[in-house]
Formats: sequence, structure tokens, C-alpha cells
Amino acid sequence: MPTQPLILVRDLSKHFRTFKRRPGIWGGIQNLFVRDYKTVQAVDRVTFDVAQGEMVGYIGPNGAGKSTTIKMLTGILVPSSGEVRVGGFVPWRERTNYVRTIGVVFGQRTQLWWDIAVIESFHLLRKMYGVVQRDFDERMALFGEILGLREYLHTPVRKLSLGERMRCDLAAALLHNPPLLFLDEPTIGLDVVARDHIRKFLLAVNERFRTTVLLTTHDLDDIEALCRRIIIIDRGRLLYDGPLELLKQRLLRTKQVKFVMRDAAARARLQALPIDGLQMQTVDELTCRVRFDRTRVDTSDLVRQVLSRVEVRDLVIEDESIEDVVKRIYAGEALREVSLQ
Amino acid sequence: MNRLSPYIECAHIGFVNILAFRLRYFTGIFTYLINVTVYYFIWTAVFRNATGPIAGYDLTQILTYVSVGWILRSFYWNTVDQEMSYEVLEGKIAMELIRPLSVQGMWIARAAGESTFRLLLLTAPTALLVILLFPVRAPASAAHLALFCAAALGSFAIVGGINFLIGTCAIYLTSILALIRAKFWLMELLSGVLIPISFFPGWAKSVLAWLPFEHIAYTPLQIYLGKIGTREAALLLVAQWAWAAALAWLGALWWRASIRKITIHGG
Repeated sequence: MPTQPLILVRDLSKHFRTFKRRPGIWGGIQNLFVRDYKTVQAVDRVTFDVAQGEMVGYIGPNGAGKSTTIKMLTGILVPSSGEVRVGGFVPWRERTNYVRTIGVVFGQRTQLWWDIAVIESFHLLRKMYGVVQRDFDERMALFGEILGLREYLHTPVRKLSLGERMRCDLAAALLHNPPLLFLDEPTIGLDVVARDHIRKFLLAVNERFRTTVLLTTHDLDDIEALCRRIIIIDRGRLLYDGPLELLKQRLLRTKQVKFVMRDAAARARLQALPIDGLQMQTVDELTCRVRFDRTRVDTSDLVRQVLSRVEVRDLVIEDESIEDVVKRIYAGEALREVSLQ
Repeated sequence: MNRLSPYIECAHIGFVNILAFRLRYFTGIFTYLINVTVYYFIWTAVFRNATGPIAGYDLTQILTYVSVGWILRSFYWNTVDQEMSYEVLEGKIAMELIRPLSVQGMWIARAAGESTFRLLLLTAPTALLVILLFPVRAPASAAHLALFCAAALGSFAIVGGINFLIGTCAIYLTSILALIRAKFWLMELLSGVLIPISFFPGWAKSVLAWLPFEHIAYTPLQIYLGKIGTREAALLLVAQWAWAAALAWLGALWWRASIRKITIHGG
């Protein structure tokens, strides 16, 4: 498929110049005349493509450059260098025409008008984007159904809860049926039910309209529920770009089995077993957690050996959580284990 | 028309937003009345010992000048610069940039909505009270009144243009409170709303002739009082609107140059 990707990013960089303030009164006076500038490399030569219909998770720790990237892709910020083309547009150069083709949700802000009823905001947006009444009604019906908007459509935005507001913001971003949706931390601060609503909605929209979604989040459950592909960035640099599954396979090397024994003596016998490469951890008097490297020790083999030698009442096989993997990536230690591409 | 209708929606939002601050406008009527009263006493004191007109104005002319001046000011005033600096500071400006409209157009439209609101709920009642309480002369002629109304719209356009230019500075300076305050006093003085420009020394008058400020209040008030004929008034009106257009153009250029520098922190 030699088709042009929907989003094309090449060597994208953004640096900010901030000035270092000297502390104290004397420092303050010095600041008036001499300023020490410091360049912060927020995004550093990032390159990736996103194809039509993909849902991509863009993750990284706080201050990694996620939001800055999104703001460059949405035409809000002008990059310091590099190239961006989205659907044929250079976002910041053709901003007003470009933004008609995208939807944007910033979890920490709202694009709705604070003091007027939600439905009025929607009507204003409808006119701003020139959406035909019939399409508008159709979409409102669909959004109402999946997001459960109907109950608070006539409430002013300032009276909505965070979860309700976020649902309204999502609907607002999709009112003009854009082929591409940018979400910057759409589930931040939301409860489990609201998160679930939003995930289901995004999946439905992606399936129905083949809407391409690029989202940043700190919630890895969002990623697991929505994205098959993730891009990891830290300190402005791209660390990983590929399938979530591959990352898991390569990095989820530690596996653990929790054994619950009949009595303390049995637990002691288990911990004394002469099997190589096991890490024993006592949870309580009857429970023991065994951790091992999946590539060196075969799980079924281990379980068979244990069961044949000691009496086990119960056992649970667990994977390392994706959260722990990402933490290791941020810490830099897992990098060596994954070769890019 | 179709391209304009989104901006009319923005004006609508400006109008609706102000409804939330109704009380401020009712107290506004009171503030404007006090201003007119203060200037009423100052000018009557000034003219007490005068033997003839000062700088071409007699007492009833100057009182009409001040009264109509404040009525006019209640219409053209807006706080676009303050709101812009707030949005830049809070990073809310990002939400303006994701709309498929010109940012400058949105702000001017919003100010227009605000001025429409002011016209109905501030200017009209203030005018009524001022005319009842103070010796305000009628406009020089029907033609002068029509030209005055056109010039009032021009005042709005000039103030909007200046405020947008100042507001854009927030991108560089973050806090433009001092700038806004400086602009406030400069505009009050140089627009001629406090003292007619003809009271200024000769050199100041010739400098001001090259600046847009006197078209904010002095030009429309000259027209209202019939200090100039309709022909000359029409010419001044052209000059005023040329300034409004020039400021809008400068605003567009300044915004386009500045937007490259924008940094939006957090979220």
C-alpha cells in the first residue's frame, strides 16, 4: 500500500527559550539588565507516520514533549524545525482551513463556552463549521446514545462535573465529523465509569467513521483498550514506535507465580527447591511469590516440577503489568532490551 | 454572507457573555453619570471668570462636548486587550487557535457584541439621564447626527484595533497590565474625551494630527457640535475609517508575526 500517510512527521523539533531568573533582590536588579537565556528542547527530531484509521497512543512521562507535539500537529504552535503534513496541510501555515479537518480535545481545558447551555455551544459550533442541520441532528442522536449526553444538554458548562464536561467536549470535537481526532489526556481526573464511557465512544467512532485517533495519556488502561500501536517519547526524543504487543513480548520478561501452600513447612520446602533462576519472595506465612525470567524458565515446566514435589493449595500466574514496563522504559533501563524497528 | 455568519455568532457570544455581568453595567450607568457631573463642575468653574469662549468653545458647547463625549465613550469602550492577555496567560488562547476562524476577527466580533450590549443597556440609559440632568445641546443638524453615528462606529473600530495590537503584546510580555494602564491614560487624554484637542498647545495638535487617537472622540464630537461643515466632516470620517482599516491591517501583521513566538505552558 504505497498510500500517503495521514500524518507525516519528519525531524520535528521545538525549543523554547526561557530566561533563568537569579534569586534575591540583587539578582532581581541584575535580571533587569542582563538576562541568561536557557534553551529547552521540548521536542527533539521526532519522526513518525500515522495511517488513516489508526488509533495511536502517544505516551511519555510529564514534560516529555507530548503536549508540545500535539500542539504543533494541531497548528497551535509553530515548530522550530522539521516537517509536518497532515492530510496534505502544513498545520500552522493553513490553520483556518486545516482545523476544519480535525477535532481536538485537551483534557485540561474546554472549548465550550462556560456560561451558556451545552446545546447552545453545540449550535454555535455547528454554525462555525457550517454543519448542515440534518447531519447535526443525526450526530447528536448518535453521541447522545453512546455518551449519554441528553440529561445535561440544557445545563451551562460551568455546572457540569468533569466527566460530563469531557463527554460534551468530545462530542463538540466530533460535531463536524473530522477524519482525524487529537486527544490530549482525555481521561485525566475521571472516574472508572466515565473513562469506560469515553473509551467505548472512541472505539465506536473509530469503527463507524474510520476516524484516525492520536491520543496522549498517562492511563495505560486507555492504551490497552484503544491502541494497537504506541509511540513513547521522553525528554523530547522518540524512544519506541511500534505495536504494543511487541513491546510487551520483548519487555514483559519477568513472570511471576504466586503459590499458596498448605502450611508453613510446605512453604519452606518450596523455597528450598533446587531450581535455577528463581527469585523467591515470602508474601505471608502460607504464600510465596516466585519470579523468574520467562525466556530462561518455562512456566508450565516450573509449575509441574513444583506440583510434583510439594503440596500446593492454590496458584496464580501473573504477568508484569504494562505500567511497570513503561516505568522501566522511562527510567531508561529497558531501552537496551528493545532495538528500535 | 456565509463567510461572515460565524463571526456574527462570535458577536452573539460576546453579547451573551456580558449578560452574566449585568450588575456591572447598572453600576456603570452610575459611574458615567458621576464622570459627567465632575466635568460639569470643573468646566463651570473654569468658565466663571471667562470673558468669552475658550479655544473656540463657550460654556454650553463644552458641557455638551463633555456629556456627549462620555455617552460616546460608554459605547466604544471594550476590554479586548485585557481578555487577550488573560487568555495568553492561562493558555486558553490554544482553544481560540483550534477554531476555523481568524483570531483577530473573533476578538473584534466579540467586542462588537459587547458594544451592542453596551449601546442598549449602558449608552441608551446613560444618554437619557445625562440629557435630562445636564444642558446638552441637540446635534447641529440631521446630517451632522448621521455623520456622528457613522463616526461613533469608527471610534469603536479604532479602539478595537488598538486594543487588539496591545493584547497581542501579551504573547511577548506575558503580563501587560502596565501596558494596558499606560494605554488607558494615553487614550483618555489623546482621544479628546477629557479635554478637546483644540485646548492643546499648537505643537501637540500638529503631532496628534498624525495619530489615530483624536479620531476616537474629538472627531465625532466636532461633527456633533457642528464645529465643521458636513463636507469637512465627511472628509474627517474618511480619514477616521482609513485609520481603522490601517490599525486592523497592522493588527493582522503583528498577530501573524507574533503567533510564531507563542508558547503555551501546561496541559
